[in-house]
Amino acid sequence: MIAYLIRRILGVAGVLLAICAVTFTIFYLLPADPAAAACGKTCSPERLAEVRHFMGLDQPVWRQFGDYLVGIFAGRELGSGPHAIQCGFPCLGYSYENALPVWDLLMDRLPVSVSLAFGAACLWLVLGLGAGVTAALRKGGLLDRTLMVGAVATASLPVYFTAVMLLYGLVRLTGLLPYPAYVALTDDPFAWAANLLLPWVALALLYAAMYARQSRSSMIETMEQPYIRTARAKGLPARTVVVKHGLRSAMTPVLTLFGMDLGALLAGAVITESIFGIPGVGRLFYDALQRSDQPVVLGVTLLAAFFIVAANVVIDLLYAVVDPRVRN
Amino acid sequence: MSRRSRALSVSLSTSLALALLGACSPQGGDDRGPDVRQPGVATGTVIGGTPKRGGTLTVLSNQDFAHLDPARNWVMPTMDFGTRLIYRTLTTFRAAPGKRGSEIVPDLATDLGRSSDGGRTWTFTLKSGLRYEDGTPIRARDIKYNVERSFAPDLAGGPDYAQRYLAGAEGYTGPLDGKHLDSIRTPDDRTIVFSLRGPVAEFSSTVTLPTFSPVPASREKGVQYDLRPFSSGPYRIESYARGKKLVLGRNPHWDAATDPVRKAYPDRIVVIQGLKGGQIDDRIIESAGADASAVEWSDLQPSSVAKVLPKPGIRQRLSAERTGCTDMLALNTSRAPFDDPKLRRAMQYAVDKQAQVTANGGPALNDIATAYLPPSLTGGRAADPVHTGPATGDVKKAEKLLAEAGRGDGFDTTITVSTGDKTRAEALQQSLARVGIRLRIETVDPSVYYDTIGDTANAPDMAISGWCPDYPSAATFLPFVFDGRTIKAKGNQGNVSQFRDKAVERRMDEIAAMPDATAAAKAWNALDREIQRKSPAVPLLWERKPLLVGDNIAGAFGHPSWTGQFDFAVIGLKDPSRSQG
Repeated sequence: MIAYLIRRILGVAGVLLAICAVTFTIFYLLPADPAAAACGKTCSPERLAEVRHFMGLDQPVWRQFGDYLVGIFAGRELGSGPHAIQCGFPCLGYSYENALPVWDLLMDRLPVSVSLAFGAACLWLVLGLGAGVTAALRKGGLLDRTLMVGAVATASLPVYFTAVMLLYGLVRLTGLLPYPAYVALTDDPFAWAANLLLPWVALALLYAAMYARQSRSSMIETMEQPYIRTARAKGLPARTVVVKHGLRSAMTPVLTLFGMDLGALLAGAVITESIFGIPGVGRLFYDALQRSDQPVVLGVTLLAAFFIVAANVVIDLLYAVVDPRVRN
Repeated sequence: MSRRSRALSVSLSTSLALALLGACSPQGGDDRGPDVRQPGVATGTVIGGTPKRGGTLTVLSNQDFAHLDPARNWVMPTMDFGTRLIYRTLTTFRAAPGKRGSEIVPDLATDLGRSSDGGRTWTFTLKSGLRYEDGTPIRARDIKYNVERSFAPDLAGGPDYAQRYLAGAEGYTGPLDGKHLDSIRTPDDRTIVFSLRGPVAEFSSTVTLPTFSPVPASREKGVQYDLRPFSSGPYRIESYARGKKLVLGRNPHWDAATDPVRKAYPDRIVVIQGLKGGQIDDRIIESAGADASAVEWSDLQPSSVAKVLPKPGIRQRLSAERTGCTDMLALNTSRAPFDDPKLRRAMQYAVDKQAQVTANGGPALNDIATAYLPPSLTGGRAADPVHTGPATGDVKKAEKLLAEAGRGDGFDTTITVSTGDKTRAEALQQSLARVGIRLRIETVDPSVYYDTIGDTANAPDMAISGWCPDYPSAATFLPFVFDGRTIKAKGNQGNVSQFRDKAVERRMDEIAAMPDATAAAKAWNALDREIQRKSPAVPLLWERKPLLVGDNIAGAFGHPSWTGQFDFAVIGLKDPSRSQG
């Protein structure tokens, strides 16, 4: 198991390094010049050269990349002498637009995205699995068909439509909820939930529909397995058969999906955050794109990659726990 | 000029034009002169009367500030916010709506400065009793220090007038390396003397810029000073989470007796950033709870205009001051076809400016531009056009000029616009098609628009671009837009036309050296007409800035010096007890 774990973690490091290299190269090749953006509208060529030097952009790309990698593990000093800026471990670069290390910006926004992702995940698991399992147990019935038509309809609504409709209906028209404005959980848990309720619902509706369909088919397949028939024949109560024998095994593919979705959401839901004006990682990414703030774009890309890869590892490890064959 | 804010403020669409037509038509018979077209309160009026002291003013914004560091702050509305609330400058603009707002009054200084040596040397004396937020005195050397900071490459992006005007500043890279400028002398704590390269008649106006505000050397934090500028104004920064929220509280050491301009009515000012534009409009229209005490930072969205104009109660909370900027069609003079002046003159007649007005939100939010210099720089009224004719263009005259240029059959050409200006480009396409000019439109994302048109080697034949004066002087306009010596191979801004004309450049230098500001203003005006004859660009529009306030806001008006943004020096609340937080 230990060897397996080490192998996987090395793999993750390799994937992240590759993503880092590719993203870095793309930015290097892009026409937008962060130095020109920082230098302002009447920047002379001499001044631009000074700014480029200060930002370290006059170095060859391999050197910049090397410094970046070293910075991630050891932190680094940007610039020199009285102009130096400290960028401590783990240094994911420095945002000259925001005058802050990228890591600080990410850590400032991450709790917001985590709040959004976990809240929405809870909602969609309850809604999606509930609907999926109910439909599976009443396969072919009216309830099954109603739920699945509902799921298809919901899944086909893009989040920017549901979000705007929710805002219109629950905020503008009826005034039931406030215009979302993020409040930290630690400041006021009630306001935190009230403000995030709409974005949670908007995101959850989309995912719940997919999860309902996925868990329904998975559940139906499982419930047709011979061992379920055996369990029933043994005279086990229906609840035990469904929950302990059926659901548990049917959930494996759903969990795979869940890990990936949650991982992707943790690094920011760009559209949802932008529509609801929630200052999460997604919104940070959007603003950074607008301002050609490349260190931040690179940082968010890496964070997103990390979460998705990490979610995969966690899922694989869970498989390994369940199924010893995977370890080899 | 506020390049970024222009890129972000997506152009108004035709839906707005229709909304405005519908809203305005019932008043068509009610002839009240030009104000009939005014979408909100009339220019020169204050929304909500005089504010009461106290309460929390909320500013709802869809974006973060570019830079609050006074050495780097060069985006119009942010300059307003910084200099009216957090730091004071040697002189500043009067806090008054309309034309009076363009007047310069002393701020930290006792007067507007005394010039000697034919306008080459300027001396300012600081008032006594000026203090920073920690109670320490504001000294002349702190102003010198901030001017020096603006030369540092790590603190780039701010106004570059110090670099342009100060003597012996070539190659200077800021005070962090221990070097200082000899051309700024501070013989004592209250006197500062600037030695300039040549005469600058309106240097009293130049020192309204945030470059000329005090930063004590002991508070230097390099790039990170941006996060928390040290306050010399009525408010200090309590917290600033970038892109999320900025909270200002009172600076207890600011003394109103030394400050004739700022009233500092609210106790706190909270800027909430990163909100969605349309939602900001909806919230302020509704004006519920704390939103009644809120103002919006960026323009009312086109889709929201129909919710505002038909309702008099909401409409009287709309400010729509002229931005003071000129929006123009830049013609790339560096190569064919627009290297031919005759062809460029033909464009002055071929373009249908009325269609541009319609495509950009209608007559309520736009006036037709008749010159490069906005009315604020030509004595308050629009200059007489050089190329006379109907607003819809003069097809016959254009055809004649085209034929003379040997392009009687028309020609193919290109324009690059940001996605928000697509409707305008299409209107242009239609008007040019009337004389056989076949226009191909390329649209790019607003975030890369200026990079695209600023790449001189690959620049399109035409681009829509604009410029706003930094203070009421044509010296902050024409040299930025039509001086061929400012053209850069990449990241070229201002002179998008790539207009190079030795005679014009010589004249610019001569006018800049005039010691008499009034004579200089006249000369700039004449030069504007001269450049129009050479036609490097077609002046299109003078826009207005639509901004809405909540119904508990008082003392609000769009200030003409900062592209029509609210004057934060005097804005406040009707009833402070109604504001929450």
